[in-house]
Amino acid sequence: MRPGAVLAVGLGLTALAATAPAGLGGEPVPGWSWLAWLLALAAGVHGFRSGGGTLAQVARRVAWLLPFVLMLALPAALLAAAGHRASAAVALVTRSLAATTSAAGTAFRLGPLGLLRGVRAFGVPERLALVLEAALVGLRSMLERARAMLRARSARRGKDGAWGLLLREPGATLRGFGRFGAALLLRTLERAEAQERARVARGADLA
Amino acid sequence: MHIPDGFLSGTIAATTWAGGAASLAWSLRAERSLPDRTPAGTLGALAAFTFAAQLVNMPILPGTSGHLVGGMLAAAIVGPSRGLLVMAVVLAVQALLFQDGGVTAYGANLLSMGAFGALGGYAVAALVARLWPGIRGLVAGPVIGAFVATLAGAAFVALVLAASGLYPIAVVLPLMLSLHVPIALIEAGLTGAILATLARWRPDLLHRRERAGGRGSAAWGLFVLALAVAAFAAPFASSLPDGLETAARRLGFAAAARPLWPAPAPDYEPRWLAASRVGTALAGLVGTLAAAALAWALTRRLGRARAVEPHR
Repeated sequence: MRPGAVLAVGLGLTALAATAPAGLGGEPVPGWSWLAWLLALAAGVHGFRSGGGTLAQVARRVAWLLPFVLMLALPAALLAAAGHRASAAVALVTRSLAATTSAAGTAFRLGPLGLLRGVRAFGVPERLALVLEAALVGLRSMLERARAMLRARSARRGKDGAWGLLLREPGATLRGFGRFGAALLLRTLERAEAQERARVARGADLA
Repeated sequence: MHIPDGFLSGTIAATTWAGGAASLAWSLRAERSLPDRTPAGTLGALAAFTFAAQLVNMPILPGTSGHLVGGMLAAAIVGPSRGLLVMAVVLAVQALLFQDGGVTAYGANLLSMGAFGALGGYAVAALVARLWPGIRGLVAGPVIGAFVATLAGAAFVALVLAASGLYPIAVVLPLMLSLHVPIALIEAGLTGAILATLARWRPDLLHRRERAGGRGSAAWGLFVLALAVAAFAAPFASSLPDGLETAARRLGFAAAARPLWPAPAPDYEPRWLAASRVGTALAGLVGTLAAAALAWALTRRLGRARAVEPHR
């Protein structure tokens, strides 16, 4: 299946699941909402399996979101009409997790390269697609560099770890973060400029 | 502040997607008209940096941590239109690959963190930089801009959650604003810390922004600041009578005051949301928007009249 079609189906299912009624107004949750959530969950899991992933990976990808989803869903359920609170809470949590699973499965199946192809097939402006491509290419090395800098900082500072408590020593912590962020930013920009110079030297157009 | 999937109604998701797409279309067009060309690789690298910086959690209290959002920082380095492009890419990567922020909520997240951070925050920063020239203004501007933009973004999130039927606005708006005051302070502090270091190491990166800020940015900054004051400061204004009201009461003619026609929000309290801070904030926002629209219309009319005036 083409990346554009996979992305369209995946995002369509995500949108359907995310906007299916959850009975917040006091009305019962319609049957088709449960069907849409079941379909989105199944499609998300299928996306993971067809991309070579496992059920444990699906669970890990979605479970970290659970506390945040509960934090948003429970107060909304408490404010729902009496007698519908439990069903509204279950429906809201299911709706959010089903939609998230569908989106995550789609992205996992496609991978970064497939996502880029899918985004291009959608007719997204080329400038935006190029920036997205550059961000995806640089993401892994950027994260590794940031982690290495944090490890080095942590080793230099001994028992305090990478950062002190912001409220206990605000000046020193902010100065430290400023140096960390500025150093990472300058290295990033210098590396990107060097890559661009090399690209142009090889005969490529300015992107 | 990332809204996950499943918390916005279909109408609100579609409306915010349309708003996000419009702001992105504007930024792409504005970027094309800029005289210098920043390679896509540099913007992509800046997006990757913003993503990595968001992962660096800073302990605030035992068990509580915060991190940079980065919209204001990106705009302070590459300008508002490119800053919005960077944030659009960061939020897309987070939503698609890391499930941080929903796909259907992408438009709302782009508006609350991208547009408010990179455009609203930058407008405030440009205004401060004009009032406070020099390198200090270039650092202080984004600090104030980051604070205002974070609170404005939080208010926007409260608005879309309320409009989606999850919570009453009178509950969620004060809660979101009070929760986001410390987050806004952290965002301002972290943005300022990086920019202050850059000002020492590579001040040319900040000077670039100074040349980019024009009169239009300052006007927008003033407008955003006025909206922020109306929304966040007006509800906490003193309820005591002003000088004229006190004099009128003492002289005994206060009761003679009669409105010429029924006002929609007497004493800055809409009739359908009376005696609440949210009502005062809404009345302040509507009043500020109306005053700005009137001023804009008058300026355009006067400008046109001056343009056709013959030379003497």
